[in-house]
Amino acid sequence: MAKISFDLVSPESLIFSDQVGMVIIPGKDGDIGVLPGHTKLLSSLRPGRVMVYGEEKKLLKSYFVAGGFVEINPEKCILLAENVDDLNNLDKEAIDSEIRKLQLDESEEAKKYIIIAQAKFDALNASYYEKI
Amino acid sequence: MPSLKDLKVQIKSVGSTKKITSAMKMVAASKLRRSQERAEAARPYSLRLEEMLASLASSNISGEGVVSLLKGNGKNDRYLVVPVTADRGLCGGFNSSINRDAYKYINAIENQGKKCNIITIGKKSRDFFKRIMKEKIIESFVDLGTAGAGYDTASQISNKIQNLYFDDKFDVCVFIYNKFISAITQEVSHQQLIPLDIGSQEEKNEQKDEKKEKENAIYIYEPDEQTILKDLLPKNVSIQVFKILLESNAGEQGARMAAMDNATRNAGEMIDSLTLKFNRTRQAFITKELIEIISGAESV
Repeated sequence: MAKISFDLVSPESLIFSDQVGMVIIPGKDGDIGVLPGHTKLLSSLRPGRVMVYGEEKKLLKSYFVAGGFVEINPEKCILLAENVDDLNNLDKEAIDSEIRKLQLDESEEAKKYIIIAQAKFDALNASYYEKI
Repeated sequence: MPSLKDLKVQIKSVGSTKKITSAMKMVAASKLRRSQERAEAARPYSLRLEEMLASLASSNISGEGVVSLLKGNGKNDRYLVVPVTADRGLCGGFNSSINRDAYKYINAIENQGKKCNIITIGKKSRDFFKRIMKEKIIESFVDLGTAGAGYDTASQISNKIQNLYFDDKFDVCVFIYNKFISAITQEVSHQQLIPLDIGSQEEKNEQKDEKKEKENAIYIYEPDEQTILKDLLPKNVSIQVFKILLESNAGEQGARMAAMDNATRNAGEMIDSLTLKFNRTRQAFITKELIEIISGAESV
């Protein structure tokens, strides 16, 4: 089974770096599934879920990213993201109260955060495959 | 001649100073390691971002708004100078060299008949420029945390700068900061953030990336080059600010470590010489007393 190397990098650290079977990335125009041998692609990201699948196509890790960029070539996939959270560490209620607090704030800044928080919420609720 | 008691007090006070400086040295050394690790961790991100940017910038992109971060707005009459110093002193020439250099730089710009404003980062530059050119300071960022600023702070600073830029408050933005070279050396460097100095960056990458440049030509861009670039450019400013903050922080710890090492050594020397003086004085007293006793006995 072929593998592709996947790096998840945030400004503060290198979060994930390993050989994987497949990655699903929230591209700006829709989710991108990256398999070994993917064509060369540069894309920006929307807030959403990054799903990392192992060689046997079993879910290894899932992250939430608030935005960023991805560079893909046949051997390598590099994801530059900020505000990366492990999906397992997110708490629905905390996000819910965050959204409610932000809704009181009228500023542009808050609106941006609401979109991100909303996406976080959706990411938690959305169904996904444990195994493909 | 100072009395024995005076000398004793002096030795003791120098001794406690030595204890403090050597403790500060240890603290700085461990902090240095941490901030070096952080700087190291941030490197892959900024490296990748620069590569992406270089490949995008080489394709001809024109446009309004965000793209002017890359190409500038065609003027260079108004400068924004950002000196980056530490919040705390006791680190040798670290802060003063930045302040001195920034001051010289600002004067040079103004002598060319151009305007200049300042955003200060760190308490030491704020205090310095508040004293001498208060009217030029737009904003000051202080208390960036002892372990160095997080990415949040960096993006806050970069947002502020970009807002000012898009409000047409300045044309060129230059950071003046201490570049971390090794644990004991820092170099005062200037980095132009807006417009982006892509020329020099490209030159750097040119040799190693020549092959890459050709490969880049067949990338698929999603959604399209313009949109990506529009996202990428503001991010690049933030990440550059972040990098500068990290470097400056590592430099600060290095400078403090070196300064405190020197201070500890000087205190040690001082204690040695004071102890010598103390012993001599004590001996002189004893000799004097002996002479008095002997001459007293002789005269009887």
